[in-house]
Amino acid sequence: MIDRRTALAGVAAMFGTALYAPLARAVGAEGPVGVPAISDGPPSAAVFTAPQRALMTALSERVIPTTDTPGAIAAGVPAYIEKLLADWSYPAERVPIVAGLDAIEKRSMTDYKVAGAKATPAQQDALLTLAMNDQIPGGKTFFEAFRQLVIAGYYTSEIGMTQEREYLPVPGEYNGAFPYSQVNKVYSA
Amino acid sequence: MAVTNRFDAIVIGSGVSGGFAAKELTEKGLRVLMLDRGRMVEHVEGYPYDGKPAYEVPARNQMPKPLMDSDYFIAKYGYVSPSNRSFYNDDRLNPYAYDEGEKFYWIRPGAVGGKSLIWGRWTFRWSADDFEANKREGIDGAWPIGYDDVAPWYSYVEKYIGVSGSRENLPYLPDSEFQPPMPMNVAEKWLKERLETQFPGRKLIHTRLSNMTEDKPDQNRSKCQFRNQCGNGCSFGAYFSTQAVTLPAARATGRLTLRSDAVVTNLEYDAARKKVTGVRFVDAKTGQAETVQANLVFLCASAMASTQILMNSRMGGGGRSHFDTSGTLGRYVMDHIFRVGAEGEIPGMTDLIEYGRRPGGVYVPRFRNLKGEEGVGFRRGYGYQGSARREPMAPVGFGKDMKHGMRQYGPWKFGMGAFGECLPYADNRVSLHANKVDRFGVPLMKFDVKFRDNELKMMADARIEGEKMLKAAGLTNVRSYEGAHIPGDAIHEMGGARMGADPRKSVLNGWSQAHDASNLYVTDGAQMASVSCVNPSLTFMALTARAADHAMRTKPWA
Repeated sequence: MIDRRTALAGVAAMFGTALYAPLARAVGAEGPVGVPAISDGPPSAAVFTAPQRALMTALSERVIPTTDTPGAIAAGVPAYIEKLLADWSYPAERVPIVAGLDAIEKRSMTDYKVAGAKATPAQQDALLTLAMNDQIPGGKTFFEAFRQLVIAGYYTSEIGMTQEREYLPVPGEYNGAFPYSQVNKVYSA
Repeated sequence: MAVTNRFDAIVIGSGVSGGFAAKELTEKGLRVLMLDRGRMVEHVEGYPYDGKPAYEVPARNQMPKPLMDSDYFIAKYGYVSPSNRSFYNDDRLNPYAYDEGEKFYWIRPGAVGGKSLIWGRWTFRWSADDFEANKREGIDGAWPIGYDDVAPWYSYVEKYIGVSGSRENLPYLPDSEFQPPMPMNVAEKWLKERLETQFPGRKLIHTRLSNMTEDKPDQNRSKCQFRNQCGNGCSFGAYFSTQAVTLPAARATGRLTLRSDAVVTNLEYDAARKKVTGVRFVDAKTGQAETVQANLVFLCASAMASTQILMNSRMGGGGRSHFDTSGTLGRYVMDHIFRVGAEGEIPGMTDLIEYGRRPGGVYVPRFRNLKGEEGVGFRRGYGYQGSARREPMAPVGFGKDMKHGMRQYGPWKFGMGAFGECLPYADNRVSLHANKVDRFGVPLMKFDVKFRDNELKMMADARIEGEKMLKAAGLTNVRSYEGAHIPGDAIHEMGGARMGADPRKSVLNGWSQAHDASNLYVTDGAQMASVSCVNPSLTFMALTARAADHAMRTKPWA
């Protein structure tokens, strides 16, 4: 994993000078002054009930599971999804997600006699597949939206950008014919 | 109301033009006050998200839709995001009459530095024919100057700001004083060879960009680091911005006073002497109005904002502007055609990817009507800006297979979009709203600008030719597109106070100097009598430096 600060220290050595202020500055949530704020803390209101949140969390991990790199839960995707639905979108946009979770929950009770969050990974995969194939009410709508949320949250997280993918904070050069075999990953934008 | 006269010159606006005016005038010995309506952004310290990846930016750097809809409903067409929003206008606080007249996207900055912080940075000279076309074609709006008048100023500006690009010796796209070009990638080289073979006379060349490929240690600027996060502000100073380039130079003289949050409402005028006597502005933080006096005024507020200030400088009762003896003020507004292009997949080379994020691409220079009318159904021409890249594979299903599948790249894809020349039309005009004013008391701008037959035919041609070229070059899955025709969308709006030899038909003379006030220069996009098809900022800078030189030689305030 690339440590961004290590990379930046390399830049400083390259210049033989002190680091520019924003490069030296510790990671923080500084915002510009006098412009509309973007809420950046915990969700201002709960979007999910506890069972919905547990199911959403479990399903996010099924969409992007832990493999040889961490999965959605380790990357903080469930928190990202709840934050986005609470504060970075319109209230109506959470409706298909919540409805889909409820439909999957109901199906889990019917098929497996257990709450969706407590179902086995294989059962959860079967439930997600039903949703993907629109064999649950609102399933396809839920699946498309939910998968987008998980993917967006994962590949913009620190784990997603720097472990699952490779991030070059300061590439320093451009090579338009670089062998993929030298990285075997996708570079984060 | 306070009245001060501590300054020799006032520069209104601090973008590419205003910053250059401040640099030139202070270096020539004048005490200059530079006013900007936006908030202060200092180089480096004012870039809170420089170098930060998405997970260190609010909302992962995706603008929340409710905020986009409430405050950035126009800025969204100008690529606003959480990391750069402090550089943009707040459309709720500072509106124009966007729901009246013809639809126009007036995409504005909201910070010192103007659009120099957020521009696309593509940097081209005009050709001799660009200056001559109006006259040759008998189109209303002959330029009073030609390429030779501007060429030395192009050189002067280019050497100072740093422009990367390749020498091509094309008469219709003169070379600049270049630093080495940014490399093409393997897919672009492949395309270049095939396209130029299939279409003799058409070229695919390196972009010409104000991102540097060599350091400028004397300006404390480093070459581009290939982060492609330019819009967050660049602490390396690798691309031209007021903050990185002209503001430090002006400050180094000790003769610059910079005032942010200063919203200029109008210019005061002595009709007997035909001189501007003062600049009135409102402090956006306190609401206090002030008038400042100086011998010389450079109006560089941006094409539309400068036109608005000129129109609002008038006798009471909504009379004609002091600067509109010709009746052409606010007319001949133009923008480039945009939102049309083609894309497709380049076969092969799938073992190769890009290392580094290059902030540019390649350029297909204009090839239409280069030798006058070619019978293609429209006048002038267009160029394409594009690049080849590989996107990660799209997700399939879910789970481990999806995740690991997304570790691969899809095929090389090439896309290019056209920028084309819009002709000047007297009826493409802006005006002051009859009864709506903003919070500073300035009448709202109203736009009646639309693309007409020539522009629409040009867009159709750009689509057809783009698709034809990519197919002939051997791309697969080629598609072309043509979006809505909304002026302003290209963010190359120009005109409104055009240059001309005849004071009865133009607002400014060949030195960017107002016919109605010899101590007033308007050196931004407002002065343009036509728009070429190339990106305009370099020409604004060259004309600004030229105008500053003229002012100092002729001392029009005397």
